[in-house]
Amino acid sequence: MSLSASLSASTNARRRPQSSLLVKRRRRVGVLLVVPALVLVGLLIVYPIAQAVYYSFTNWDGLTTQWVGPSAWVQAFHNPTMWTALKNNAELLLSVPFALGIPLLVAVMLHQRVAGWKIFRSIYFLPTAISWVVIGLVAEHFFAYSGTLNSLLSDIGLSSVHTNMLGQENEALIALGITFIFSMIGTNTMLFLTGLATLDPSLEEAARIDGAGAWRIFRHITLPHLSRFIQLAFVMTVISAFSALFSLIFVMTGGGPGYSTTTMEFLVYQTGFNQSQFGTAALYGIILFVITALVGVVQLRLIGAKDS
Amino acid sequence: MSVLSNPSTSSAALTPAPRASSIDVPGRNRSLARRRLGRTLIFASMILMAVVMLYPFAVMILVSFKTNAQYLIGHGSSTQTWRQINANLPVWQELWNSTVVCTLSIAIILVIGVMAGFSFAKLQFRGGNVVFLGIVSAMMVPLQAILIPEFVNIAKTGLTNNYLGAVVVYAALGTPFSIFLFTTYFRRIPDELIEAGIVDGLGYWGVLWRLALPMALPAIATVTVLQFIQIWDDLLVGLLFLQNPGERTITVGLAALAAGHTTSIPLLMAGSLVSALPAMIVYLLFQRFLVRGLTMGIDR
Amino acid sequence: MAEINFDRVVKVYPGGNTAVQDFSLQVADGEFMVLVGPSGCGKTTALRMIAGLEEVSDGTISIGGRVVNNVLPKDRDIAMVFQNYALYPQMTVAQNMGFALKIRNVAKDEITRRVAETAKILRLSEYLDRRPKALSGGQRQRVAMGRAIVREPQAFLMDEPLSNLDAQLRVEMRTEISRIQRLLGVATIYVTHDQTEAMTMGDRVAVMRGGVLQQVATPEDLYDHPANSFVAGFIGSPPMNLLSATVVEVEGALSARFGDQSVAVPGHYRESHHLSEYVTRPLLLGVRPEDLVLATPGVEGRFSATVTLREALGSEILAHLNFGGEDAIVSDEVAAASPGAHSSRIVARLGARAQVLVGERLELTLNPERLHFFDTSTGVTLARTR
Repeated sequence: MSLSASLSASTNARRRPQSSLLVKRRRRVGVLLVVPALVLVGLLIVYPIAQAVYYSFTNWDGLTTQWVGPSAWVQAFHNPTMWTALKNNAELLLSVPFALGIPLLVAVMLHQRVAGWKIFRSIYFLPTAISWVVIGLVAEHFFAYSGTLNSLLSDIGLSSVHTNMLGQENEALIALGITFIFSMIGTNTMLFLTGLATLDPSLEEAARIDGAGAWRIFRHITLPHLSRFIQLAFVMTVISAFSALFSLIFVMTGGGPGYSTTTMEFLVYQTGFNQSQFGTAALYGIILFVITALVGVVQLRLIGAKDS
Repeated sequence: MSVLSNPSTSSAALTPAPRASSIDVPGRNRSLARRRLGRTLIFASMILMAVVMLYPFAVMILVSFKTNAQYLIGHGSSTQTWRQINANLPVWQELWNSTVVCTLSIAIILVIGVMAGFSFAKLQFRGGNVVFLGIVSAMMVPLQAILIPEFVNIAKTGLTNNYLGAVVVYAALGTPFSIFLFTTYFRRIPDELIEAGIVDGLGYWGVLWRLALPMALPAIATVTVLQFIQIWDDLLVGLLFLQNPGERTITVGLAALAAGHTTSIPLLMAGSLVSALPAMIVYLLFQRFLVRGLTMGIDR
Repeated sequence: MAEINFDRVVKVYPGGNTAVQDFSLQVADGEFMVLVGPSGCGKTTALRMIAGLEEVSDGTISIGGRVVNNVLPKDRDIAMVFQNYALYPQMTVAQNMGFALKIRNVAKDEITRRVAETAKILRLSEYLDRRPKALSGGQRQRVAMGRAIVREPQAFLMDEPLSNLDAQLRVEMRTEISRIQRLLGVATIYVTHDQTEAMTMGDRVAVMRGGVLQQVATPEDLYDHPANSFVAGFIGSPPMNLLSATVVEVEGALSARFGDQSVAVPGHYRESHHLSEYVTRPLLLGVRPEDLVLATPGVEGRFSATVTLREALGSEILAHLNFGGEDAIVSDEVAAASPGAHSSRIVARLGARAQVLVGERLELTLNPERLHFFDTSTGVTLARTR
């Protein structure tokens, strides 16, 4: 796609005899400067998409390849594990409202600029710097049988509720979701706070003079102003839920117990590198790609609607 | 743009305005008291939130100063874990590996991003917009979606046996964002400035390196900081594309150690702290560039 | 140093928009030529074509006798001053000024010498180490000038260089630029939309409209002998009054009728302005505001009008007047050829002590030797070319 576009660019330039020397140079340098990017992105991102589509129709195991055809897809859709992974992904989406709501609240509080708010801001953002591998390790300690959660529970007199969330099929995903929410707080707070800072303070003041209370100001001035930032955060959070949990799952649960915390992205890894079913793994990758692409298209729609 | 670094712009937002003291109406005192109560509540919630957000750091520090036995019984402290850390986790080697991989990848991401960004923003060649859209859409492709062919391709070239395997993958994943950011940034440079350079005797190549590049330093900083944190913290690419254990990054080393399941938790926490420190320092020093990058494109 | 020559230059933008049409103009060596016109008239495009920033669709441009249509900007040996100065933000004043020389591998000492010399002319010597950000608008403007001067080019191209300055500074810089240009004696093409700048700075002024050159002349000529009603209305402030009028001949004597008024026209206009051919035909009568004077009682050729607005400027009073008769709005055709043409309104520039009150009726005469006549549909002057 990209290569042919650049080719047609140069032939078009040649067809116009009146282009000045300067314009010709501009176009030539323009194309040359883009070539490295095209090669890199073309070879390492675009081409593998095509390959993945091809492999998804084979039973490739890393050594031998055999064309299977559409039945590979039929088989995949009859595989309960894939549906488990999709279900896990869907359930993880339930954490998105929290991953947006909590940061929104935090950002609004920071925006009040009470004493020491800058220190608080730095503290809240700090976890964004550390790897989700690290967060996952800490979360493992938090949710462990002898971990922080259980000692907190017994501190408040609930020692009977001694849990082992990561070891329970029906609770591990909740623990994963909570960790995911925690991991998103810093980034989303940062986004919302930036949005709030672009809010014209005289709007709020005018509303207050008109007698609007704090809630009304938030509902009718702050929130509409933040809508673009909320959209961006929403899309980023959803895409993260589909494609950034690998580190957390890898260190916290390894996808288990059973398949209870295996998401599509983790299933791609497991199928490919633990079971050597490269063909099926590529197929799962395509499904994941389609899902994230749909989210991306929705985002473009939203942005486009705003622009026009 | 970098609003967070310049909070004075809207600092007056919700602080009591001066007019509060002008007239003393009945009810003013009540509303003032209510406001004071509100701010106290906010302050308390913010403290609570701070405790939550600092929890990982507290755990890492406290637990790392225990032996495994002390950790299991729940009290006591020791520097033993720290003294023996290198025996279980080659931290120095892995920190070095992380640094090498980050440096090489970011260098590629910057060079390619600056060149393409300048071209898309200022050199309008035919079809440029389509190519730009194509590359920017590549930002949305998650690595997992192309993981299998990517791995096989890179493994075939033999690059997975050295740093370059991970480097080229990081570079490819980081380049679309870098191009997007540089394009947005260069679009803000007035055309007249480039024309001034042309009239002064530069070619477009010269304009890029001698005029546009020095002006793009803030964007370069943004890309560098964002990509540094991204690559430093990444697991998946390092795990698969650095097959030689001696070239593992610190994050991969840590995850591999954790996957062993036999290791002591204090050791993992010590390793976590070591792996987190460089990224935290970079983050604290360059916070404003990070924010700028995150909101680039929305803040036009 | 060199002359610049436009020969039937055409600029058509991709998409078919014609910016400059059949444009021919000679700028002599050392001349200060101003291109003036309303926005979108093609003046900036013309300038950018000399610089080489815009391709020439047809015709030729030559600098010093060399056709430069296919020469890169850097090889044209011209310097340009941009509207927003386009100073390199990361460089100091000295670096900004020396940059073009540095690119051309001029020796360091030489660059330093020439920058210092230029800075002296522009009174910038103490700011050489500052960055553009730390300069005022006027200083930035001078640095932009300095960047051009240092190069000792064949020609200066200036694109509205004063439009970002406040009014007072603009007046100051006007004389400053004129002074420097005369000092250096380099051919200069200066683009502006401000007719005052054009009149005060140019050796000659080229008026453009809609991509077409209207007239090239010295400021005095332009003012006294506008080639068409557009130039007449564009040059001068307030502009020339343009009245829809009819010339009638009664017993061998010519008079012009407009609104319900009539004034005598001296007989020599019959020859000099082809007036015989226009008798009883509509035309446009042009009168400069200062050529309207308060009539002393008993004088011939008086007409009367009501004051609708009085602008006291201290040194003079501008009286906006209305006379009766059909307050006909001029036809679209006339309005297109001669924006500002009216049939019943007129502005007079009167002495500061003139007794003028809004609502009062004034008796006026017009200076019979300074009348202008234009064709209604084409706007072209009826004066025979001298």
